Amino acid sequence: MSQSPTSIIQSCHHSSELAIRPDLTAAHAHVWEKLAAPGTWWDGAERLAIAEVVRSALDDLDPTPPWVSASSAGHIEHNPALAPHLQDAVYRLTRHAGTLTEDWYLNMRDKTAITHQQWIEVIDIVISVASVLRFAQLAGIDRPEFPTALDGEPSRQEQPSKPASHHWVPVVHLEDMTPELEPFYQGLPVIAPVIRALSSVPAAMDTLSVLSNAQYIPNREMIDLNWSRGTLSRRQMEFVAGRLSAHRECFY
Amino acid sequence: MLRASSSANDLELDLSMVRGEANESAAVQHARALANLVDSSIEDLEALPAARAALVEVTDKETMIDACAVVANFEMMTRIADGTGTRHPPERLDAIGDLSPSLGLDQFTSARI
Repeated sequence: MSQSPTSIIQSCHHSSELAIRPDLTAAHAHVWEKLAAPGTWWDGAERLAIAEVVRSALDDLDPTPPWVSASSAGHIEHNPALAPHLQDAVYRLTRHAGTLTEDWYLNMRDKTAITHQQWIEVIDIVISVASVLRFAQLAGIDRPEFPTALDGEPSRQEQPSKPASHHWVPVVHLEDMTPELEPFYQGLPVIAPVIRALSSVPAAMDTLSVLSNAQYIPNREMIDLNWSRGTLSRRQMEFVAGRLSAHRECFY
Repeated sequence: MLRASSSANDLELDLSMVRGEANESAAVQHARALANLVDSSIEDLEALPAARAALVEVTDKETMIDACAVVANFEMMTRIADGTGTRHPPERLDAIGDLSPSLGLDQFTSARI
């Protein structure tokens, strides 16, 4: 019998001699529970196929340049659940996110015929896998295997997203908040563009919120410029964040 | 945010340390060890165990784990920003106006200014 997603994460975190915070283990277990289950726009098998491309891209010791098709170059295994153009897009987002442009995005959508919301869910999967696997790699703990894909249909839950001036993708503006977005919007006078970016798929907002709270700074503590867990100072966290972002050539 | 959190504590900070040599400073303690952890995770995975050990040596295991978690978080945030074409509002761009050219950030493909 296969392990549950939560037990996969727990066994990796607990097998090391490191005392990993329980809330961090719980956050990674939470996104692993969602990883191969039916999502909002993709089913479990499709989500797992996307996750497998992310893992291949992260592991690629000789990555293809951004402008080369990773699937054509043999860097991604063919998977009938995912069109090669979409595999290439997932690979590029995982490996070369800093090179993406609006023209690339429009061209990718023409080739793959995916909706904005489907793309947001792709990002949801990419960030889940990148967070969990990169944390394991950095901390030197066992790498979690993927869970088994679950049967079932995507929820196809629409949100009142509209074009946005700070994104390529439509977002749900604060005045259009729905019950599904209340946990992420309510009580906040403004929502940073990078937080709002995923709002057309609340399940992706959930991933962002759960991971940020455990890996970095809880959103509601962002205004406290001296917030700390008692380990890294706020400035040390910002320094690590800035240095990683610079390596990734992320202007934002 | 690093500049803001330093200013809030009246600490001087040379922001070039974000991209360049990470010298020790009052604003960011153990900057060199933290930078080595980040750099080795991107540029030289074989050096990662030594970078981890060096950070534990000057801090402790819990701090090292939290630094790994922050890296993981920004493996997430960078892909959200660049995958959705997120750009700063004009007032934010004004606030960081002097910073991006001095650090070379405006040369990034992702500089959607």
